[in-house]
Amino acid sequence: MKSKQIVRRPRLSLIALATAAVVAGGPALADETSCSPFTPLIKGQEDLVYVWTLGVKGVGDGSDKLVTVDVNPKSKSYGKVIHKLSVGGRGEIHHVGLSDDRRYLWGGALDSNKIFIFDIGTNPAKPKLVKTINDFVEKTGFVGPHSFIAMPGRMLITPLSNKKDHGGETGIAVYNNKGEYVSHNAMPKEGGGDGYGYDAAINPQKNVFLTSSFTGWNNYMMDLGKMVKDGEAMKRFGNTSVMWDMKTMKPLKVFQTPGAPLEVRWSWKSGDNWAVTTTALTSKIWVYKQDAKGEWQVKDVATIGDPAKIPLPVDISITADSRGMWINTFMDGTARYWDMSDPMKPKEVFNKRIGSQVNMVSQSFDGKRVYFTSSLLGNWDKKDKDDEQYLKAYNWDGKDLKLAFEIDFYKEKLGRAHHMKFQARDLSTLKPLDSAQSALPLLAQSR
Amino acid sequence: MSLAGLAILVALVALAACGRDLPTAAVVPLGLPALPVPPDAPLQKARVDLGRTLFMDRRLSHNNTLSCAMCHVPEQGFTSNELGTAIGLEGQTIRRNSPTIFNVAYVEQLFHDGREFSLENQAWGPLLAGNEMANPSIGYVVEKIRTLPEYTGRFEAAFGGRGPDMMTIGLALAAYQRTVNSANSRFDRWRYGGEANALNAEEQAGFALFVGKAGCVACHPVGEKAALFSDNRFHNTGIGYANSMELPRRHRVQLAPGEFVVVEDKALDSFEKRQPDVGRYEVTLDPADSWAYRTPILRNVALTGPYMHDGSLATLEDVIEFYIRGGIDNPQKDPLLKPVGLAPGEKRSLAAFLRALTGDNVAQLAAEARAAAPGDALPAKDPASSYKRPY
Repeated sequence: MKSKQIVRRPRLSLIALATAAVVAGGPALADETSCSPFTPLIKGQEDLVYVWTLGVKGVGDGSDKLVTVDVNPKSKSYGKVIHKLSVGGRGEIHHVGLSDDRRYLWGGALDSNKIFIFDIGTNPAKPKLVKTINDFVEKTGFVGPHSFIAMPGRMLITPLSNKKDHGGETGIAVYNNKGEYVSHNAMPKEGGGDGYGYDAAINPQKNVFLTSSFTGWNNYMMDLGKMVKDGEAMKRFGNTSVMWDMKTMKPLKVFQTPGAPLEVRWSWKSGDNWAVTTTALTSKIWVYKQDAKGEWQVKDVATIGDPAKIPLPVDISITADSRGMWINTFMDGTARYWDMSDPMKPKEVFNKRIGSQVNMVSQSFDGKRVYFTSSLLGNWDKKDKDDEQYLKAYNWDGKDLKLAFEIDFYKEKLGRAHHMKFQARDLSTLKPLDSAQSALPLLAQSR
Repeated sequence: MSLAGLAILVALVALAACGRDLPTAAVVPLGLPALPVPPDAPLQKARVDLGRTLFMDRRLSHNNTLSCAMCHVPEQGFTSNELGTAIGLEGQTIRRNSPTIFNVAYVEQLFHDGREFSLENQAWGPLLAGNEMANPSIGYVVEKIRTLPEYTGRFEAAFGGRGPDMMTIGLALAAYQRTVNSANSRFDRWRYGGEANALNAEEQAGFALFVGKAGCVACHPVGEKAALFSDNRFHNTGIGYANSMELPRRHRVQLAPGEFVVVEDKALDSFEKRQPDVGRYEVTLDPADSWAYRTPILRNVALTGPYMHDGSLATLEDVIEFYIRGGIDNPQKDPLLKPVGLAPGEKRSLAAFLRALTGDNVAQLAAEARAAAPGDALPAKDPASSYKRPY
């Protein structure tokens, strides 16, 4: 990678200062699917959606690829695939994450353990692969790089497994923006920890980040039906989440959140101080909040669907004002909108079937546009006629979802549509985090 | 003598030691019979060490993610305690449970269905199977090993100047596996070592049931001077039959510790169907062998769950319950399986006895394997891209 990417490496001691306003004050920061608070956001109309797409044998070139879709209604190519970039092989690619300046996109592969870094700043409509990290297992001992959460000059990476036995014990890792290894830590096994990991979300104001836990390579690579019938495999899911000190990267507290807590999100509403996750197997919503003594506590606040039928809640997307949250349930292909105005008493107020299997959901900053994709994991997706693969864009008016466009990823010979990130064609209005020069106006500089 | 000369002398002595045959008794703990070693594949330290490294090398799979040890995890009884049936490259389904490597030298016909007859040949099965390590060809594996720096000179040192090829790779892996022997359990010290108190009363009662009323010894024989706990034959217990005939099943599924739901097969229709498996019949094509699978060696059985060829029984107690019911009835069921009435205390004694079969060197064998693991640095080039004809 060219050195121009790395221009800012603020000291960690500046992080809290630099971001003190991110959560607590100033304009609310949308999740914009799951962006790090250190990444400048697109508050207006997003121009592009990148879809990290799993290659499927016999579909097109069969390779994993980054697919770029034009999503600006004013564009002539609205709703069309305008670029695709194959990375070679089928490595169980999964999530992508934006760099701290939104000019690079990191994408991980849960099986090959490769991490691809795309330049999405030079020409956002034509991403270019500028580096492939091949040393993740060698440097960390971990397997399955999952989430990529930008920190100043760094990328926090949460893997799912380990090279020793492909089980669920894993850790967290940090690379710098050049794609060089910096450090890694094991997930805690003491204090009630099970050592499992999955997602992470940062709250700089509180100098904490929260991690969740899923399962190891053995399970996430296996056919879902086979796994459900395998009694031993079903014992190997994460049941914990962990609050960490962001500066020291040390665990502060382990929470018992049984049943595979997945995506974690902080409320971005000014003055709020809570985070949320859902557990895939036990179908619950959990809220993390500080008690009167300032200690972090967690509580299961609601049940999603009928847990006896294992609806499998997967991705979530919280609104900019934190008054609502989308929750997708994979097994019934349904998107559910939950009223989160009282996070301790959330209520499902709307649901709609999106397709056979709905997984990821990303909403625009204003919440008016909601995008859904279909693939969960290559071998967890349904088979035959139930294996629909799509990107579907909807308009949301607060009462109903109305389809804007859809792309059949099989018909287009692309593969399985998984994680999404938005981008703007003109990045000149996006100012990267530059805490060394100016810390506080970060949010005002968002588009 | 100069320091350089001394170093050469030391190296020569070490090389000579590498080339010497290992005394097989050194790798046969108390309780096991004499080690069967092919006359043309002598156990030599350099070969064993090389095979151990190969066994632990994740790069021996096509996409560099799966070693032999990922399905035969040293710390999990050289099987996988976390899976009923294994999965291979890119998560592909493997129909059967990973058999333990413990004492595999004594297995006469390898794999659950006995389709392979030597460890040297068996090694190539998983390396080339499309749903296991999935290498595209023999040459691809050979070339990859040849270019990995960890193996520079090691094959030549172990095989009289011969480099990695199909023969030497199989020989090295077989040599190592012939040393993964584990016995000298409390049972062995009690029965063969003269330690009358090595088994407690409950365990001794369990042994009496094992060789008596429970009838286990019919397939898991115990000798006067040694015990394999396997007849090395193939038996139909009914589990394979039930799978093939898709007898209706309801699955008790754990969602979280202590939290279960019941799921019926039909609820999983959208996912992969069970793959056909007729057991030993697939090798002999003799209908009498349908759904028969090899009797496993019971040594270290407490460490090698889940049990049966499909990993469908989680605990030793589950296995005992299965057998005292007489297995699952089917036309080809082995007549040795008959219902046996055991009182709860007798079942506990039997389980206690089985747990006394754990060898005293399992931790050592696991540590040796882990210490031999090579690095994870990926090949600089794909073997198919780097290959150049050497002649």
